[in-house]
Amino acid sequence: MNLDAEWLERWREYFLTWYEEGGVEAKAEEAAEFAQPYLDEGIASVSGGKDSMAMLHILATRCKPDLRVFHWDHGPWLMPREVEEEVLEGIRAVAPGAELIVRRYRFGWSEGSRVDWRPWYREFFSALRSLGFKYHLLGVRADEGCRRRARGRVVQRKQWVEVHPVYHFSWRDVWAYIFRHRVPVPRVYFRYTRLLGWDRVRLVTFFDREFEKYGQPQLDKLLSWRWLHDPQAES
Amino acid sequence: MEPLEVVFRLKTPVALGFPWISFDSLLAHVKLKELLGEHYYALPTKIPASADLDVPVKLWRDVPVASVSIFEPEPLLQVFSYFKRGDLPFPRGKVSRASGFFKDFYLKTAYAPAERVRFYCTGEREEVERLCRKVPALGKERNIGFGFVEGVEVREAEGEWGLVKDGVAMRPIPVEYLKRWEDAAFLAYKPPYWSKHNVKLCCIPFTRVELA
Repeated sequence: MNLDAEWLERWREYFLTWYEEGGVEAKAEEAAEFAQPYLDEGIASVSGGKDSMAMLHILATRCKPDLRVFHWDHGPWLMPREVEEEVLEGIRAVAPGAELIVRRYRFGWSEGSRVDWRPWYREFFSALRSLGFKYHLLGVRADEGCRRRARGRVVQRKQWVEVHPVYHFSWRDVWAYIFRHRVPVPRVYFRYTRLLGWDRVRLVTFFDREFEKYGQPQLDKLLSWRWLHDPQAES
Repeated sequence: MEPLEVVFRLKTPVALGFPWISFDSLLAHVKLKELLGEHYYALPTKIPASADLDVPVKLWRDVPVASVSIFEPEPLLQVFSYFKRGDLPFPRGKVSRASGFFKDFYLKTAYAPAERVRFYCTGEREEVERLCRKVPALGKERNIGFGFVEGVEVREAEGEWGLVKDGVAMRPIPVEYLKRWEDAAFLAYKPPYWSKHNVKLCCIPFTRVELA
């Protein structure tokens, strides 16, 4: 991947400065304190995106190194193997003492998963139910949108309770935390960041028709064209 | 057939849905539109159109001798976000705008702010020129003003550069037709480029190759 080192270095400096000025350390401490009571009966859901990786780092280093971590593998047609491997490596590096539970989306091994996303919801929520934990800790932030802001920090669902430790983090806080603590995130992030900006970039499934209404598959075809026909490809 | 250089001068930036635009697909598109008229807009999806297109470009094996787009000056990609809302006579009552027929889209498209787009090919000059003059715009999102063509120049090229120029691939070429290649990926190499039946392991445009 051809990254512009100078561009990245400039932003790294900016985020490191923000870490001090934005009081990110205090926010991380507050998030850890908030999450502590939920960890014994809960599980941290980590997609490998920036928010969940920052959350995982906070929980693993400040609360409970042997916490339980749940990761959902979307399958090669939605999440190219190179990215998936990076995500798993990142989780293991951030929380080496964690008990990692990985569930696979069976339909994700079929090309049809890019077009039909209905089975995803069925399988995903059935996997969550089968885990049987009382609390699910997610990297949801209020800053992400009005719907997420409306959700609140603790949400009572039918079969579990959703807890959002990094709820009050802004996008600047998350990146500052990642740069300050060298939290590993997939390299593909930086390719998209260059175009979309640090505030808008998100790690979602690739070439997924579900996100067509946001123009995501069109962008994937341009920036991740190597994985269009061969999800195993390396860049 | 003669080696040609085709230069499109642009009025507006080109929106892209893939890193390159293939020149032979551009000609095939114009030709098919000529052939089918209004029926062009009601083609069956998922099945490649069976019309036998006589694209005026030389074939080397089954690979068209036509390069992909070269943007000049080399652009830094930008992104444009916009709403696509149903501009329709809405029915009375409650209408879902989250899904279904009246669904709203909040789209983003990447564009290359280039001044010129250059292609190389080997083909029939008059026919290529005629078809190129029928191209009003290049790339995606032409309906919202991207890729408008100001003018086109077709001139004789110094060499046959539709496949390889100075040891560098100018288009995807299947690796089975190559002696050496620097980098390869699964790409479509002949029109229609959207069909997976035309996907093979190919060299990547603008990487070093040697033809077999």
